[in-house]
Amino acid sequence: MASCLQGGVAALLALVSPVLHADDWTDDIQVHGFMSQGFVKTTDNRFFGDSDDGSTEFTELGINASFRATPSVLLSGQLLSRRAGDMYDGSPVIDYALVDWTISNTPEHAYGVMIGRSKNPLGLYNDTRDVAFTRPSIFLPQQIYFDQVRNLILSADGLQFYGRLYDEQGTFSLNLGVGSSPVDENVEISFLGSDYGGDVESGDPAIIARGEYETRDGAWRFSLSAAKVNLSFDAAPADPIGSGEIDLLYWIASVQYTAERWSLTAEYMEEPIEFNGFGPLVDNRDSTVQGYYLQGSYLLRDDLEWVVRYSEGFTDKDDREGTQQSAATGGFVPPHAFYRKDWMVGLRWDVTPSFMLRAEYQWNDGTWTLPRRENPVPSATVQDWEMFSLLASYRF
Amino acid sequence: MLYPRPISFPKRLSGVLIALICAFSAYADPVLIAHPAVGMRDVSLNSTRLIFSMQLAQWPDGGPVRVYVLPDDSEVHRSFAKDLLSLYPRQLRRVWDRQLYSGTGQAPEAVADPVEMRQKVANTPGAIGYLPSEMIDDTVQVLSIR
Repeated sequence: MASCLQGGVAALLALVSPVLHADDWTDDIQVHGFMSQGFVKTTDNRFFGDSDDGSTEFTELGINASFRATPSVLLSGQLLSRRAGDMYDGSPVIDYALVDWTISNTPEHAYGVMIGRSKNPLGLYNDTRDVAFTRPSIFLPQQIYFDQVRNLILSADGLQFYGRLYDEQGTFSLNLGVGSSPVDENVEISFLGSDYGGDVESGDPAIIARGEYETRDGAWRFSLSAAKVNLSFDAAPADPIGSGEIDLLYWIASVQYTAERWSLTAEYMEEPIEFNGFGPLVDNRDSTVQGYYLQGSYLLRDDLEWVVRYSEGFTDKDDREGTQQSAATGGFVPPHAFYRKDWMVGLRWDVTPSFMLRAEYQWNDGTWTLPRRENPVPSATVQDWEMFSLLASYRF
Repeated sequence: MLYPRPISFPKRLSGVLIALICAFSAYADPVLIAHPAVGMRDVSLNSTRLIFSMQLAQWPDGGPVRVYVLPDDSEVHRSFAKDLLSLYPRQLRRVWDRQLYSGTGQAPEAVADPVEMRQKVANTPGAIGYLPSEMIDDTVQVLSIR
């Protein structure tokens, strides 16, 4: 694993070395990284491993390198290893690898384009969601930032255009990306309910957009972001469903207010999903997923922060109790698997600027967003469950 | 004609008071500095914020900007962020982290203390940083914020 990371960094540096020209080019290269280790204990159900017995199957490692070739050209790449229970085994993946060309950059505006694999700027947290220092809690609110299909909206291979306008009051920025999104078995299982013989693949290019306004003093942030994704499923002969397409539009409205010692954050997400061509078993599953949360944080001391959050989420906003969806499965899947409401309280201690400890407790009603892979028998899940988690994180 | 009434403090005591006030404000208000060859005397508040947010990477002449900062928990950094930029150090950190870990920007270079700050800014073409005013000497160019 370590040699793989080193190899990746060496490869990245080798890639950029032919364009090095100035004598002091090493000043233009930066290498940074992070490592986090978590512990999860749940009263019932499984989340990130055998959490009902206490699980340490939550590890995040990342290393990145960037090279400012000229004031307007930046090359950057990050390798990420993520171990998360039965869902992710820690195999290193390229989190992003891009060339960022700032075509124009003045005190009034900036615009440019990123070419390669770039992170999707969705909501307040998606683009750095695996860096514990940038998250508000050990786990992001799952009702919006689902772990189960994270790769689908995490990044895209293609182009991302950006523009920023600066004025005396603040900054307005706009990002527009076009590219293909990586698809894995977690995507297939969560959308189609099972790992069939056929495969789900990325269909038409995904379109990602975000508009954001931030006041000059950094106190207010407003953003509206969306990803339009098309997936195609090529059925194998033995599959009980036909080949079809899934279209989804994932959008988030976000607002955040930051004062010197406290902050308030709210995000609202909807995701209409359409199934076409699979046959009657699947095609009538069209629904709109809904999720939202309100979060407050308070600095007790400069190095100690409290966070409280209430979140709700539903697989179908027109059936928030889950009763119709449960009935459609003949009761095989209980109603509580179609929603989740939870309270969370947490404490963050910045022991040093680069080392952080966190502890959190969560009270849940409902089991939606618990990975199907880790909880294969829906009727065996427990509706009311609690979760305690710890995290240690270091960065450089 | 209105003249202020003469101050009735003994001259010596008022001298001490002025010295105290100066010492205090020097501590509370760091001064923006740059490498002497940057060739500017002043810079707009907007540009200063963008430069320290790592979003403006070049000087008007096209040369690269190199940003130096003191540690987040240093008093001088705090006062620089709050008094000169009207930002909390946590907000600056959030902006840097977001760019650094999404591959869209680089982090400023951290120096250990004001002595190293002065040495780096004096010797790095395109450098910008800040210092408590009592540490300014002719190796660095003071920039006023307009």
